[in-house]
Amino acid sequence: MSAQVPFSGRREVRFEREPARRVFAAELREARHQFKEGTEEKSPTYVLLPTGQRCNRVFVVGSMTEKQRQGEQNIFYRARVVDPTGTTFVTAGNYQPEAMQQIARVEPPAFVAVVGKPNVFEAPDGGGVYVSLRAESVTVVDRETRDLWILDAAKATLDRIDAYGTTEDSKRAGEEYRIDPALFRKTVADALAQMHL
Amino acid sequence: MDLSIVAERISQKILQKGKNVEQKEIEAKLRLLVEEFGVPPAEAERTVISELGREYQVQGLAGAIESDRHAIAELVPEEWVTIEGKVVGLSAPNSPSIAQTGIIADASGAIRFVVWAKAGAPQLEAGCWYRVESAVVDEFRNSPNLKIHSGTTVTPIETDRPLMPSETTVAELKPGVGSVRVKMVQEWEARSDRILQTGLVGDPTGTIKFTIWKEEGKEPLVPEAVYDIYYATVDEYNGRLSLVLNSGTVVPDEEAELEVGAGGQVFAGAIVHVGQGSGLVKRCPVEGCNRVLSRQNYCPIHEIQPDFRYDLRIKAVLDDGVTTKNILMQRETTEAVAGLTLDEAVDLAENSPLGMDEVFLRVQSAAMGRYLDCRGREMDTSVLVTSAERHRFDPAALAALIDRAGGEA
Repeated sequence: MSAQVPFSGRREVRFEREPARRVFAAELREARHQFKEGTEEKSPTYVLLPTGQRCNRVFVVGSMTEKQRQGEQNIFYRARVVDPTGTTFVTAGNYQPEAMQQIARVEPPAFVAVVGKPNVFEAPDGGGVYVSLRAESVTVVDRETRDLWILDAAKATLDRIDAYGTTEDSKRAGEEYRIDPALFRKTVADALAQMHL
Repeated sequence: MDLSIVAERISQKILQKGKNVEQKEIEAKLRLLVEEFGVPPAEAERTVISELGREYQVQGLAGAIESDRHAIAELVPEEWVTIEGKVVGLSAPNSPSIAQTGIIADASGAIRFVVWAKAGAPQLEAGCWYRVESAVVDEFRNSPNLKIHSGTTVTPIETDRPLMPSETTVAELKPGVGSVRVKMVQEWEARSDRILQTGLVGDPTGTIKFTIWKEEGKEPLVPEAVYDIYYATVDEYNGRLSLVLNSGTVVPDEEAELEVGAGGQVFAGAIVHVGQGSGLVKRCPVEGCNRVLSRQNYCPIHEIQPDFRYDLRIKAVLDDGVTTKNILMQRETTEAVAGLTLDEAVDLAENSPLGMDEVFLRVQSAAMGRYLDCRGREMDTSVLVTSAERHRFDPAALAALIDRAGGEA
């Protein structure tokens, strides 16, 4: 059969929102490979996770331990959000005014839910590669939401590890990273063990 | 199928009745039917058993014959079947090539049937039992359908057997035929002159659309009344089910009370976005309009409406990490999720320098990042949420994950 585009009348192509992946800090920190799907200017950019899934959006819930305001003319916020496996860096600048104002209102330490776009960048002075989340939104939440997120992130990570090798993205991850995804199983176990206390 | 095994099985059955039939003789009869006449082996087995039963005057081989009678509930498309059932409904055929259409039932369930005009079958009567041999099951609009064609034998069964329709819940209905106990919840405006009544019926597991086409002797349902509906046809259109009551029997139960559940599906996930237009909105007061007004109280149809009424809602994105759903919460759900009543919201808006934005911020900070279990129905592009609950931490889920991760607790 030929791959014909079905007649859709005047209906517009439905925009599919990118889901927010649940990723522990320990895994996000290891992400290096960033790519663009498609050639258009607005084509989405993805970061490939070492467990073998692309992500364009990430959801984390953790403790904001510190925030810093930077810049004079162009104000810019940088915050540290800690989960049981490590720290995720969250940023918000002029192009994310809503998230920036939300960070401005948070008094660390506080549990926060962050939705953001992952970004891999190299420090200009050759100081290594960093991954951060450019925040779309930052909201103060309660401890139970944080606990639910740890379970959610644990499940999502285990799902990715179990599907490793069966998907295109995970084969690509096998080429891009020299990390055995099984290592993250230990990360998950440790994160869950901390909750038990 | 190995015919010698079939032959052995048949000879065993007859041996149990105290008669000895040469296995070779049986096998020869089977081979003749299967190899020369192309009879399906199962059908050949049945034929040989009944032939031998008559020949050796063995009573009670019927049990053996029964074994290849199919239970109606277990019929699957693309099969040749033999059933015994009662005609529980007849409907007017919509084509001259069809002699009759209706529903036939046994204790296990019911199926729609079609008698082709060319089948030469006897006129079936409602309320009578028939044995239908070598009919074909196929699928018509996702529901199984029994075709009675020229190769089918239909024999009336004289004795009336008791038959209790097995009712299911609304949530369990599948395309085909269904029996339910429901309450009439809503009457809708009919879009066609041919419709007597259309609306919603429901039980504790959910609600479903129903239609009664105009036909002699059909009565509309009474709102709030409870009915046992036997053998209604269940249609599927665009992934949604609806009941057509014409084929079935509708029995009112005047004494009964029935709680109707919200039904719908449960969508679980975290709120990752709270959209503009959430919080406090003003609605057009013109009857039947209800549109959201602009900040200047302007309705796109009815222009300036200073006597608007306030409403609370949340338009958000629910995300489970794999897929996202646009969700819409109406006032009651919004009040519960945001922990803010409509009156409090109006108060807040009127007394805050930020006005309605203040309410938006309150709703946003109460909803964002929260894990919710939303019950509702998926409409075109979004889920209309009828109730939402905070997802609670479950130590058992933690234990299961620890197990799965292989860590020591």
